[in-house]
Amino acid sequence: MLKEFRNTLTKVIHLRSIIGYNSMVFALRQMPFFGKLIPDALYRTAFLKVIYWIFHVIKEVFMLFAGKIAGLGLIYLVSMFLKQEYLEYDQAEGVSGPELFASFSLLLFIIYALFGLLLNTRFFKCTTEKEYLVFMLRMNAKKLNTTMFVYDLGKLVIGYLIAGIVAIIGGAPFWLWLGIPVLAVFIKLFGAGAQALSYRSKRRHNKPMRGSTAGFIVRMLIVMACCPFVIAFVANGYYIPLWIVLLISVVFIILGIFGFVVLKGFDANLNRLALRDNIVHEEVERYNNCDNTRQFKKIKANGTVKGDKKGFEYLNALFVKRHSKMLVAKPVAFTIMILAVMSLFIFGFIYSYYRDFGTDNTWQMVVSNLANLIFFRGYVDPLHVYDTGSSVDFFRWVAQNQLLLLIVPITITDVSVTATQAFYINCDNSLMTFSFFKQREKILELFNIRLKLLIKLNIIPAVAMGLFENLFLFYSGGQDYPFQYLLTMLVPIEMSILNSVTWLALYYLFQPFTTTVNVKGGAYNVARIIISSLGAILFMIPCNSLVLAGILTVFTVFYVILLRSLVRKYAQKTWKAKA
Amino acid sequence: MEFVISHLVKNYGSKQVLKDVDFVFEEGKIYGLLGRNGAGKTTFFNCINGDTDINSGEFYLRGNDSNEKISIAPEDIGYLVSTPTVPEFMTGREFLKFFIEVHEEVKPEKTLDEYFDYMMIPEDDRDRLLKDYSHGTKNKMQMLLNIIAAPKLMLLDEPLTSLDVIIAEEMKNVIRAQKQGRITIFSTHLLDVAVDLCDQIVLLHNGKLEPIDKSNLGDAAFKDKIIAALRDQDNA
Repeated sequence: MLKEFRNTLTKVIHLRSIIGYNSMVFALRQMPFFGKLIPDALYRTAFLKVIYWIFHVIKEVFMLFAGKIAGLGLIYLVSMFLKQEYLEYDQAEGVSGPELFASFSLLLFIIYALFGLLLNTRFFKCTTEKEYLVFMLRMNAKKLNTTMFVYDLGKLVIGYLIAGIVAIIGGAPFWLWLGIPVLAVFIKLFGAGAQALSYRSKRRHNKPMRGSTAGFIVRMLIVMACCPFVIAFVANGYYIPLWIVLLISVVFIILGIFGFVVLKGFDANLNRLALRDNIVHEEVERYNNCDNTRQFKKIKANGTVKGDKKGFEYLNALFVKRHSKMLVAKPVAFTIMILAVMSLFIFGFIYSYYRDFGTDNTWQMVVSNLANLIFFRGYVDPLHVYDTGSSVDFFRWVAQNQLLLLIVPITITDVSVTATQAFYINCDNSLMTFSFFKQREKILELFNIRLKLLIKLNIIPAVAMGLFENLFLFYSGGQDYPFQYLLTMLVPIEMSILNSVTWLALYYLFQPFTTTVNVKGGAYNVARIIISSLGAILFMIPCNSLVLAGILTVFTVFYVILLRSLVRKYAQKTWKAKA
Repeated sequence: MEFVISHLVKNYGSKQVLKDVDFVFEEGKIYGLLGRNGAGKTTFFNCINGDTDINSGEFYLRGNDSNEKISIAPEDIGYLVSTPTVPEFMTGREFLKFFIEVHEEVKPEKTLDEYFDYMMIPEDDRDRLLKDYSHGTKNKMQMLLNIIAAPKLMLLDEPLTSLDVIIAEEMKNVIRAQKQGRITIFSTHLLDVAVDLCDQIVLLHNGKLEPIDKSNLGDAAFKDKIIAALRDQDNA
């Protein structure tokens, strides 16, 4: 039996080491630039495998120390502290130090173990090596599960025995040093047995093996709710007599025996089925959590395109129609939000005027404000004098002189990256297999259409931001001249155009996406980092609307022309499908 | 018209997938590109289609009456991939309409429904989103679009793989009907399909193209010869 255990464990550890090593080499080879330097031969280099194995063992030992020893060691330290405090303040009359220590240690350990039982319910978790051994190499699942369970228990006992040295130093009775690891084994047996029973019951009632999120939250809340009670209990100088704690321990030992019996009757086939169902459950979870393409697959055949649109115009109109939620929702939501804040702002101002000066003057003020906004530089009202020197001045200064900061909200509301991903996944990826899609003129035609689309989408929140900024400046002292409102408006609009053309051109020049929305190829990421860094540096430069609007207008025109030329020249070669 | 490949080389790192490929394909014939899994058939097609850069060599078209090299434009190539991908947000009819509109040079000879009828695409499917099409119908759609585009060179990358018997037979008939006036290269790893459909068989093995004499097609030992050839080269 021991030989069988050793053989199985050796196979598992050997396989785990191979999987770990190969995964590491694979991950290294996936790295940009550096990955290409790593040869295939690395997979079969025995020397490096030995090095990896040594690190693997160190990691196992570290996990042993980090988890088991630290957890129980902390319990012993707290118990030692409580024992001294209780003895010093005579909180437990007639109780000896070792008895108090044992009582606290056992109680805290049982709570700690129960936390583990409630939160860690993955006895049938199917690791990669278990999957290979059971489903590819047809190993007996019960033998494997048992071996791994015994191995884990062994690590647990060793870790707890090492931590027990703290207990001995702290004046714990010797039986506690051995008792807690034994109790831990029984509690673990109980937990595993309970999971086996639960699986058997679910299987009998044809229920899928899945962890309920609600159940996990309830368990978390129970665990968290226990903490204040324990703290309050101890802080008030109470303690549970040792015999009661021992009685609870005996109950757990009996439950552990029960768990052992359940596990013993859980045959190889049930073990195998449990592992298989666990794989299914994990795959479903992984799919639900990690499928980045899901948001792009929500396409509905809602109507068609009316009018005389043809060719790429037709394609684009259909694309927008079928992806309207994905493309329009974000800018519209932000625009509504900004308009709502603006409305509150205007309402608050008018209301305060109404409250202070009555109904008759309110309408006059609204009309005069409007006239002021259109013909003059700012809000002027002798009855409601603008208070200088307040915090508003700071924001006013920012709104007038740090206009480049607008790039932050403009980037947040921008939908260009999402749109380019949707272009690729739902459209270009398939059309790229057709030759017409690679013709230079056609690439540029579609690029132009899409650029217009992105500008239209991104300009809506940009206009709202411009309006908001103007409104704020108007009410906080006005601009230097009426034309300045127009210039201030121009800045976010031009920034949104720059954003749109940048991300679209990057997509055409690097085409980094795969069909699973991963980004493949370092060039796109490098370009993104460079552009983002430049943006971060630029937006700290102080600029007022006159200077900025002038520079941005010229820059935007040249930038768009430049990127269009680059796309015209290179996209035929760069705009390709990636697996 | 001929399609000429001259000294074509493609490497992936240290691995040489195509080694100095030299071959001339003739118009009006279906060539069965036969090779084992991983032999480089898809890489070969990707190189010709411009999806993958080549390391060296060239390929071009050559007219019947002259030796003038005619470089290949994207519109000269039709490429059917084994796993057809279609723009999922469009219906079959919308896609066909769009496709005909962007091919201004093509004068459609049929109405949209006549095209669908020709490819035996069921009426129920024509106004459904392409994402809901079966694998076979997507394949037919892909074939139909390539027929309309009328390319000079048709590359078919295992288009019959995983199709049911009926659709596979329908597709074979369409491929046969479309072979005149163009060069068709049909890649497969299935010997029976290649023998059944193609006028000439070309082996892609060890990174090279080699024609196989098909004159003795009826010979029961023909298949054995090809398998032996593949094995021999594998061991070479």
